[in-house]
Amino acid sequence: MEDVVARIKEKFSSRILKSEEKSSRRIYLDINPADIPATAKFIFKDLGCRFVITTGTDTPAGIEMLYHFSQDSSGKLISLRALIVDKKHPQIESIAPIIKGAEWIEREIWELLGVNFIGHPNLTHLLLIDDWPEGKYPLRKEER
Amino acid sequence: MNILFNYLIFPGFLFSACIGLLAGWVDRKVTARIQWRKGPPWHQNFTDIIKLLGKETIVPQAAKMTFLLSPFLSVLAVVLVATILGKSIISPLDWFIGDLIVVLYLLIIPAVALIMGASASRNPFASVGASREMKLVLAYELPFILSIITVIIKSAGAIQIGSILERQMSFGSHLASLSGILAFIAAIFCMQAKLGFVPFDVAEADQEIMCGTLIEYSGLPLAMFKLTKALLLYTMPVLLISLFWGRDLSPLALIGKYVVLLVVIILIKNTNPRLRIDQALRFFWGPVTVIAALAVILALFGR
Amino acid sequence: MSWKIKALTKSLWVFHAACSPCNNCDIEILDLITPRYDVERFGITLAGSVRHADALLVTGVPNFKTKERLKMLYSQAPKPCLVVAIGGCACGRVMFRDSYNSPCRVDEVIPVDVYIPGCPPKPEAMIAGIVKLINKVKGK
Repeated sequence: MEDVVARIKEKFSSRILKSEEKSSRRIYLDINPADIPATAKFIFKDLGCRFVITTGTDTPAGIEMLYHFSQDSSGKLISLRALIVDKKHPQIESIAPIIKGAEWIEREIWELLGVNFIGHPNLTHLLLIDDWPEGKYPLRKEER
Repeated sequence: MNILFNYLIFPGFLFSACIGLLAGWVDRKVTARIQWRKGPPWHQNFTDIIKLLGKETIVPQAAKMTFLLSPFLSVLAVVLVATILGKSIISPLDWFIGDLIVVLYLLIIPAVALIMGASASRNPFASVGASREMKLVLAYELPFILSIITVIIKSAGAIQIGSILERQMSFGSHLASLSGILAFIAAIFCMQAKLGFVPFDVAEADQEIMCGTLIEYSGLPLAMFKLTKALLLYTMPVLLISLFWGRDLSPLALIGKYVVLLVVIILIKNTNPRLRIDQALRFFWGPVTVIAALAVILALFGR
Repeated sequence: MSWKIKALTKSLWVFHAACSPCNNCDIEILDLITPRYDVERFGITLAGSVRHADALLVTGVPNFKTKERLKMLYSQAPKPCLVVAIGGCACGRVMFRDSYNSPCRVDEVIPVDVYIPGCPPKPEAMIAGIVKLINKVKGK
């Protein structure tokens, strides 16, 4: 069972801003939003980890995107954290061309948080109705 | 006038409907008891039919005229079969030669009416149910006809139900011979499929395709289809009894034999899961046809 | 009391119309047909198709998408058809009152005959609700 974290750190040492080990099986790696596609491709294709889900939260510092990957043989969960600072027009490159399973969650994050995914093949409404008013993102904090 | 009385009251529509609905209640009650429940009261099936008569009938916009015609067609056909059977049991040799063939043809009409009605309703779920019903009919008609041929051979070529009964009264039930037993077993499986009970109810009452063929029916047409099922529950076992077990058909013996067959149906129904359509096809064209063919060959040799 | 109503109360075929609930109420509804509570002795069975339904059991809060489908379901059920709102969410939306995806209550979409509150309501509460529904229908 190879140590995936060591391999990621060795390949992307220059791009990892911060690494945090919450427990022996939970690693958080902070990287720039621009480096997400390359890192995700490495973890998914070369290391063979399973893509679990993407999560997005609206924080005062920006929109925090977490990409979770699981190495099922060891039970490790690796999360890539990217902070999108621009809250007026948040955008990030989509990983849907690399990982087909990420298509729907990116549609959901787009319609609920307003993050534009560049290069997504089908950015349409998933949960909300099709004529939902433009510009209203229900999970943004100022919607209260 | 006499014919009308026979068709409508006894042993036709009213009589067979009451017996059939009561037999359906027995099935529900026994199933409930097996599952440690209490089960519905005796008049439940009658109340179901009466309630359905009081609901409005919704006809889909794209449906054709056969949508409303097919339920009545199937009820008419099965009532005719019940009349023929009843008269043959009461006074054999009173009907015409060849009424066994007529009965066989009439018994296909409920299935065909179901397919016609389902296709006429233009619903995709109904068409799935209709295609499954078609395949099921293809599957069970073959061994059923083979077992009927066994009976005809053993009755020295008689194709009138009355003369088959007469022959059994003189020579003993067809069930008392090896070929008779084999043909009877094959016929029981075919009866289970014709009645549309588990394990062969893949066409209708299927929770995965939302009741399949009956999905668009409501009100009076639906009541007619439920009535057809009840009428078949009376007609099919009585047909099998008169063909295979017909030595002693006094009322008490007839009721006893009918109850035995009902118990067999309920037992098979409660101990088996539902078969997929390809499994049902393989089952009927495999083991059951082999048994029926064996019965025909044994009958040809006089066993 | 007409024979139609009398027959309806003795043989109620229910259709489960769930508007995306959390499924707790649905589990309790299925509890009713298990041997411990056994509603089949009252003549109540689950209908597979909405055209066979005499009562719609509505659970969950209607959102924009399911609101349209609920209206369509109610119009597809042959009348007389009763509507039962099961669970707090179907009765009055409770904590989802101000949610962004919940435009209205169930009784603003279709007319409800009986409300069974609870989160989820116990099977005994549901049977009591059914008895109240039958009494209400008979008293008409």
